[in-house]
Amino acid sequence: MLKNIQEWTLLLLIFGVVSILGNWIGYNIFPVEAVPGMIILILIALAGLILQKLLPIRIPSIAYVAIIGVLVSMPWMPGSEQIVAMTNYINLLALTTPILAYAGIAIGRSWTDFVKLGWRTIVVASFVMVGTFLGSAVIAELVLRMQGII
Amino acid sequence: MSEVQKNLWKDWRLHALVLVIVVITELMGTHEFSVGPGVILLLPMLYAIIIGLALYFTPIIKEKQSKHAEPLIVLGVTLLIAKIGVIIGPSLPQIIAAGPALLLQEFGNLGTIFIALPIAVFLGLKRESIGMTHSVAREPNVGLIMDKYGFNSPEGRGVMAIYIFGTVFGAVFMGLISGFLATITPLHPLSFAMASGIGSGSMMAAASGSLVAAFPSMETEILAFAGASNLLSLSTGLYMSIFIGLPLTEKLYNVLNKRKDNRTGANTGRGE
Repeated sequence: MLKNIQEWTLLLLIFGVVSILGNWIGYNIFPVEAVPGMIILILIALAGLILQKLLPIRIPSIAYVAIIGVLVSMPWMPGSEQIVAMTNYINLLALTTPILAYAGIAIGRSWTDFVKLGWRTIVVASFVMVGTFLGSAVIAELVLRMQGII
Repeated sequence: MSEVQKNLWKDWRLHALVLVIVVITELMGTHEFSVGPGVILLLPMLYAIIIGLALYFTPIIKEKQSKHAEPLIVLGVTLLIAKIGVIIGPSLPQIIAAGPALLLQEFGNLGTIFIALPIAVFLGLKRESIGMTHSVAREPNVGLIMDKYGFNSPEGRGVMAIYIFGTVFGAVFMGLISGFLATITPLHPLSFAMASGIGSGSMMAAASGSLVAAFPSMETEILAFAGASNLLSLSTGLYMSIFIGLPLTEKLYNVLNKRKDNRTGANTGRGE
């Protein structure tokens, strides 16, 4: 467990440094401003990872991370304004770029499987994704309009 | 993350490469071009996945780096989810107000069945099409199909095919189509934000990222709704498939197949 926490912390720190640099280059946010927010995000992620190991309920760690993130930033929570203000310096897309860079390196190994799939699969897969996306958007649009939100 | 993977932080080669990729792609920045009335956005994250993939086929990346990168995606996603959590928190009153839309749009995930299944059957796919189109085929759904039909069944091959496509191209694909569809259709960006949460962290990030880039003034709302919807998909998606998606796919498949058999039967009848 301790070994795990150490490993997660070091890896999240590496992620944090890379993201902060991306945040600087891509979104012009000076690293000094972004550091406190990044530390908060790393602590939330760590808390979620540790809770998942400690609690007997089998739900994915990202669910814990999300719940903790929501809890500490709810308007009713003391100190939430500072947390929101500090994490606002971290651009969401600056976090996704390194994730997708790692993903690109990792999926190289699935590439041969992908090539074997054949064109029919690619056509169907495209419609699977568009179908889900458009289906959800149409329903959301109808309900949001009925509620008068949009 | 499992306990088996240890000392991944020591793989300096991998982290240095990712750092270089991030610096290069962020320097390249966002580019957009119009296709008819829609806009396609090219974002640094999309270049990042393509450069990463391309590097895999060069000697710079060894098998080891590729293996090490896999658990790091999960860890990176926890950081992303933490960020989305702190976006959802302040928007909670708003999200509760929009709750019904958020809950009901989960049924929209069934859209894949009505749109993709007829196409799969039309292309001549057999029972593979059930595994392929009953859902977007992320991890829980792969588990469901394997559990129900077995790994070596046609349904199992189908779901794996879509799973692999999603893994390789999901984020790029969603990133490209979400901005495009949101600008080409009259639907509201918030509806698309809710639709972005399809149960995969990277696809949601890509889809909502493109939406933010296309509608920068609505950034917080888009990210809050996309994040909340993704959480909902993660927690309800599997049950949706078990109780509605998969039975519906089976039924529709039988209907489509019967019609197809009748038609081909009539054709051969005439031919003889």
